[in-house]
Amino acid sequence: MPDTEPGRMATMPRLMLEMRGVAKRFGANEVLRGVSLSVPRGQTVVVIGPSGSGKTTLLRCINMLEDYEAGIVAVDGVPIGYAVDEKSGRRQRMAERAIAAARETIGIVFQSYNLFPHMSVLSNIIAAPIRVKGVSRPQAETRARELLAMVGLSDKEKEYPARLSGGQQQRVAIARALAMEPKIMLFDEVTSALDPELVGEVLAAMRQLARDGMTMVVVTHEMSFARDVADRVVFMDGGVIVEEGPPETMFSTPKTERVRQFLKRHNDRYRI
Amino acid sequence: MPFDPNFIRRLLPALLEGAEITIELSVLTIAICLVWGLLVALANATRGPLAWLAAAYIQIVRNTPLLIQMYLVYFGLGFAGLPLSGFMCGLLALCLQNGGYVAEIYRGGLQSVSARQYESGRALGMRRWTLYRVVVLPQVIARVIPPLANQGISIIKDTSQVAAIAVMDIMKVAQIWVESSANTYDVFLTVGLIYLSLTTIVSFGARFAERRLAFVA
Repeated sequence: MPDTEPGRMATMPRLMLEMRGVAKRFGANEVLRGVSLSVPRGQTVVVIGPSGSGKTTLLRCINMLEDYEAGIVAVDGVPIGYAVDEKSGRRQRMAERAIAAARETIGIVFQSYNLFPHMSVLSNIIAAPIRVKGVSRPQAETRARELLAMVGLSDKEKEYPARLSGGQQQRVAIARALAMEPKIMLFDEVTSALDPELVGEVLAAMRQLARDGMTMVVVTHEMSFARDVADRVVFMDGGVIVEEGPPETMFSTPKTERVRQFLKRHNDRYRI
Repeated sequence: MPFDPNFIRRLLPALLEGAEITIELSVLTIAICLVWGLLVALANATRGPLAWLAAAYIQIVRNTPLLIQMYLVYFGLGFAGLPLSGFMCGLLALCLQNGGYVAEIYRGGLQSVSARQYESGRALGMRRWTLYRVVVLPQVIARVIPPLANQGISIIKDTSQVAAIAVMDIMKVAQIWVESSANTYDVFLTVGLIYLSLTTIVSFGARFAERRLAFVA
């Protein structure tokens, strides 16, 4: 049986995410300069790099929260945002309806949690499955409770976000994204706003997810997480991928001077 | 002579009849403005001609006196060959002006919802209408209840101006009784107390709604 379904892009089917030549500018500032990135199914790619290197923008382009001027993105072979017309070879923006449908397959967790403050924890998790996917309420609630158990928050389903700690809110945000049964999960510096004591609980949930075989793209400054969990580490600077490779070589024998500098500065700062 | 219980006993049924009109006008104006104001605010939040139209409407109705608008509607429609009853003209003018104020209240509420909330909803695959219905409007409504309650109270008081276009509301009835009895004090004191009880009901209703819709934020 062929791996590609009709209408899908002729990409390598084993790739869960494929980005080709993605370019994005904010006014005169070129934030992404033709970035290409492939993530095979079930792998975790950790994106590191200095602030302003384009990491977050890269992540936001994947689910079209940020529009981009050039390039294409496909998840599981299905283009998102722009499709390439086979005859003319020109890229065309997809309809909002199609973009919204594509976003259902991509979970994203933000640095600032962004839970819905007027809803309980359980309602936060079931809102989109019910309203967007048309899942029945009992079914959505059952799944939500499984996910809350997974992130260790079974006793908090009736709480409102404001009554939770940052780490708890972030774990709810992870459960909320997972409730849509995404094919890929994107994490945008999800521990950066947390007290150091709360970072561990969020990273533990992410480690579990990686072990369960979820495809993940993780933007983070947590080098230990990158070292332990990543299948591949990508270093970005100035809107391009400077170097990428398995964590063991990236962290011990980086090929480029830029990565060496970055890691040295990072290690100096966090050495006690 | 003021504080004449016999006079007030005779006056009260007439005033309550007028109060019925006041209540009808108030309830209809508040109900229509809640919806109309939201539509104007949503139009104002778009980009393009619809937003300009909404902004122009708000500017015009907010910056001219209600009484002028009432006369313009009442006489204007008459000139245009569309004579509506005084009640309908009063209702139309009240809705026109207060719709502008209510739209501004909603605008404040819409702006108070952070861009991240919109982003979260979109990231979960929500399209515009679902996003507004599930994420944005519940937060807006919870936040705008106190200013909306103020506006509701203001609407009840504003209805007194329909007396100027011969609608037999409580104020018009009061004017007639003052003219015939010259007992200004008793008439207006009683009218004031009736307005106070109507506005108090709105205040309590709003407080109840505020408690019901409040979320921990």
